[in-house]
Amino acid sequence: MSSSGYPDAGAGFLNTAVAVARKDLRIEWRTLESLSSMVLFALIVLVVFNFAFDLATIRELGVGKLVPGVLWTTLAFAGIVGFARSFQIESRSDAMTALLLAPVDRGALFAGKTFANLAALVTLELVVVPLSAVFFDYDLLAVAGPTAIVLALHTLGIAELGTLLGAIASRVGRGEALLATLLFPVATPLFISAVKCTAAVLDGGGLASASKWLLIAVGFDLLYLFVGLATFEYVVEE
Amino acid sequence: MDGFLRRAAIVLLPIAMVMMLAAIWMVFAYVPDERVMGPVQRIFYFHVPAAIITFFSVFVLLAGSIGYLWTRHTAWDQLSRAATEIGLLFCTIVLITGPIWAKPAWGTWWTWEARLTTTLVLWLLLAACMMVRAYADNRDLGARLASVLGIIAALDVPIIYKAVDWWRGQHPVVFKAGEKTPLEPRMLRTFLFCMATFFVFYGLLLAIRVAIVRLEDRCQALVEASSGDRA
Amino acid sequence: MSDRPPAVAAEDLTRRFGSRVAVDRVTFRVEPGESVALFGSNGAGKTTLLRILSSALRASSGAIRIDGLDYREDAVAIRRRIGVISHSSYLYGDLSALDNLEFFARLYAVPDAREAAGRMLAAMELDERADDAAKTFSRGMTQRLSIARSLIHDPRIVFLDEPFSGLDPHAAVVLRAALDRLRAEGRTLVMVTHDLPQGLAMSDRWLLMERGRLIDQGRSAGVDARDFENERFRIRRRAAPAGDTAP
Repeated sequence: MSSSGYPDAGAGFLNTAVAVARKDLRIEWRTLESLSSMVLFALIVLVVFNFAFDLATIRELGVGKLVPGVLWTTLAFAGIVGFARSFQIESRSDAMTALLLAPVDRGALFAGKTFANLAALVTLELVVVPLSAVFFDYDLLAVAGPTAIVLALHTLGIAELGTLLGAIASRVGRGEALLATLLFPVATPLFISAVKCTAAVLDGGGLASASKWLLIAVGFDLLYLFVGLATFEYVVEE
Repeated sequence: MDGFLRRAAIVLLPIAMVMMLAAIWMVFAYVPDERVMGPVQRIFYFHVPAAIITFFSVFVLLAGSIGYLWTRHTAWDQLSRAATEIGLLFCTIVLITGPIWAKPAWGTWWTWEARLTTTLVLWLLLAACMMVRAYADNRDLGARLASVLGIIAALDVPIIYKAVDWWRGQHPVVFKAGEKTPLEPRMLRTFLFCMATFFVFYGLLLAIRVAIVRLEDRCQALVEASSGDRA
Repeated sequence: MSDRPPAVAAEDLTRRFGSRVAVDRVTFRVEPGESVALFGSNGAGKTTLLRILSSALRASSGAIRIDGLDYREDAVAIRRRIGVISHSSYLYGDLSALDNLEFFARLYAVPDAREAAGRMLAAMELDERADDAAKTFSRGMTQRLSIARSLIHDPRIVFLDEPFSGLDPHAAVVLRAALDRLRAEGRTLVMVTHDLPQGLAMSDRWLLMERGRLIDQGRSAGVDARDFENERFRIRRRAAPAGDTAP
């Protein structure tokens, strides 16, 4: 409180992040635009992959060889649709300016948006991963636990990068194509780790055999959480 | 700043020229044939320094990006721009000399070997940095976005290197013949001299490119000033 | 002389875009509770100046103090006490009116955000449409909702950028009433407007900008809009460089 009794601050970091995340999720809940596009796109990509590699080939090679790559490629491309939309809603009535005028930490805006994107991606995975088990005929239930851990860890990293790079791409106005061009090279370590971990899990090796990859994923997540919190404001201001 | 760049360029140019000629002599006349791969191995003396310079340029990019976001002085951004472009140039050299070496040595133009793959991803990152800067509506926005992207990319490089390395397996293909066994003295000398030559060459290119970028910026400012008066 | 600092104090404010100077060494003050109208032709730099004052844009050089505070040290405290009404609505079209207001109330740490949002909607006569998506609102209603958003946190200083533009007569009346209320409550208003009579009627003082520079200012009381226009014309001729005869 200032000496005149007038409040001197807005919402703190956590409250701001929560408010932004709720706002984004509420919008998504009302329109389901983002989620439906993501799910539909993911389905199409899965079907295309099924034409690219048929069931006999997969059985020959073993589930662990093909499914992880197909799965993560699908999730990444579908995720990009969501990331682009996350910033479209801010630019429609210039709401982003209103966010910048608010007495809040800009890093908290990043945290809130990342969380909302994470939630959207997780929802996408809840649909796509079981479907991939059906399409590619592998036993998901047997490895549900480790799979969930691998998914959670790597989806967080993708959400962070997708939010930060999505903000950059939206400022430049070129949309999804640019975002894909930015996301894939930057996310290379995360992608490799995701495929390796998923392969280890599906092949029955368990998480222990992929421990060094989990380490890379955790390190990556932490690094880009920090980078995002620190640099988001430079991307969105003005 | 402009004076310093001009003096640097004037000093470095003759040094670079002499060193280049000396390096070419060393690589093609002085150093002996490598016993396993034969004459084609001489590309190693250009290929490896180019790769090291690329990584060095990424480091310069990181410094320039952080410097710009911290101080907002255009000079840092001008440095970043030059480092991005020259880094991309040397990266391209690595990606061209690699296959030229690979074909005679292994019979295939390309292999998803750890270092080549990392270099390819790095090339994509640097190209993306240039693209974002070019697509931005105005200079300041482009500088800011490219700086953030530069930081993201530069911090990523070591992680990409490690991840790709592990992806390829524990023992990467012996790419640098002679690294496993101590290099013959003439080879070592040639390699170090080429390394030095490339550094001098990089310094020269950087100085000239930054100077040109500064000139471009001044031209742009003059153009805007003259059209602004009529508004 | 009150011991409260000026609500807005700009000193030598300059903003360059490349080498075009949009705002050129502007210096002025607005006392707490004052209402100031900012006039000027298109491209004079009024909107740019307003954006700098509200921190939507950084100045290239110069100083601003809002309520005695500097953006460089107390940006959060300043943003907490200013409100901005612009021709962008700053609303999320897919969210309901209530959700929109609640979100911003939370950002500004307004206590009991949802209740405060409901009360604000009632005050703006929008409570019947509280649960409707903002994109279904008419222009006038959107403007009212946008004002509600700007005032939900009870700002002491309000910046307005051509708030009357594009409004139908009814909406303009509602807006005028709202702004009169703000003035009566002692808030500080800085309003960019093209509407001379409206601007003069609603302000204590006026500022005139031309080509980025603040070329004149004065009290609004008793000023006739038509005389002002003529005088402005003369002033602009004086300020224009020799040889420039464009009106």
